[in-house]
Amino acid sequence: MYMNSKRYKQIRIFVAIFISITMSISVNLNSYLLGIIAVLVGMLFLTLVRSKTKITVDEREKTIREKAAQLTYAIFTPTIGIGSFILLIPSYSGLAVFSKGEFTYLESLGMIFAYLTLFLIAIYSLSYHFLNRKYGGGGNEE
Amino acid sequence: MKNKIKIYRAMHDLTQEQLADKIGVSRQTVIAIENDKYLPSLGLAFKIANLFHVKVEDIFIYNKEDEYAK
Repeated sequence: MYMNSKRYKQIRIFVAIFISITMSISVNLNSYLLGIIAVLVGMLFLTLVRSKTKITVDEREKTIREKAAQLTYAIFTPTIGIGSFILLIPSYSGLAVFSKGEFTYLESLGMIFAYLTLFLIAIYSLSYHFLNRKYGGGGNEE
Repeated sequence: MKNKIKIYRAMHDLTQEQLADKIGVSRQTVIAIENDKYLPSLGLAFKIANLFHVKVEDIFIYNKEDEYAK
C-alpha cells in the first residue's frame, strides 16, 4: 500500500489531536494511566502505519529537510558555542560576571553547552565521514 | 535552467496533480519545477522525459548565463 507524505502527515495530525484530547481528559480525571496508554496507543498506531505502508517522500521535501538541517546546524552550533564561551570565560579570568552569587549555576550551564557543542561537531564529522564514503568519496580509485 | 513542462503537460492534457501522481511527487513539486524554483534530480528529469516520450534536453534547456549569474 502506497502512501504519500501528505497523507501520512494528516494521519499524524489526527493522532496528535487524539493524544492531546486524551491527555487533557487524563489531566482532568487525574489519571496518569490514561495519559500513558494514550501516548503508547498513538505511538503504536503510527509505527503500524509506517510499517504497513510504503511512504513515498517527495524529493523536493527531502532537499528542504536537508537544507533545514544544515541551517539548523549552522545556527545552533555557533550559538551554543559562543553561549558557552560567554558563560565560562568570566569565571576563569577572575571577572566572574555571570558565575557569582546566586548565578553560579551558569558556569555549569556553560560547561554543558561546551560539551554539547563538541558533541554536535563530533556527530557532524562522523556523519560527514560516513556519508562521504557511502557516496564514493575518500578513495584513491581511478 | 528553463523547462517546457507546462507546454508538454498541456499537449498531453494533464493537470499538475495528474502529472505529480504519474511521476511520484507532490503537486507542489510540479509547480516548483514549472516555475523554475526547484531543479529536479536527474532521475526525476528522466522520468518526466520518459512520460512525454521525448529526450531530457527537449524539456530542460540548459542556460549557460544562469550558471554565471550564481
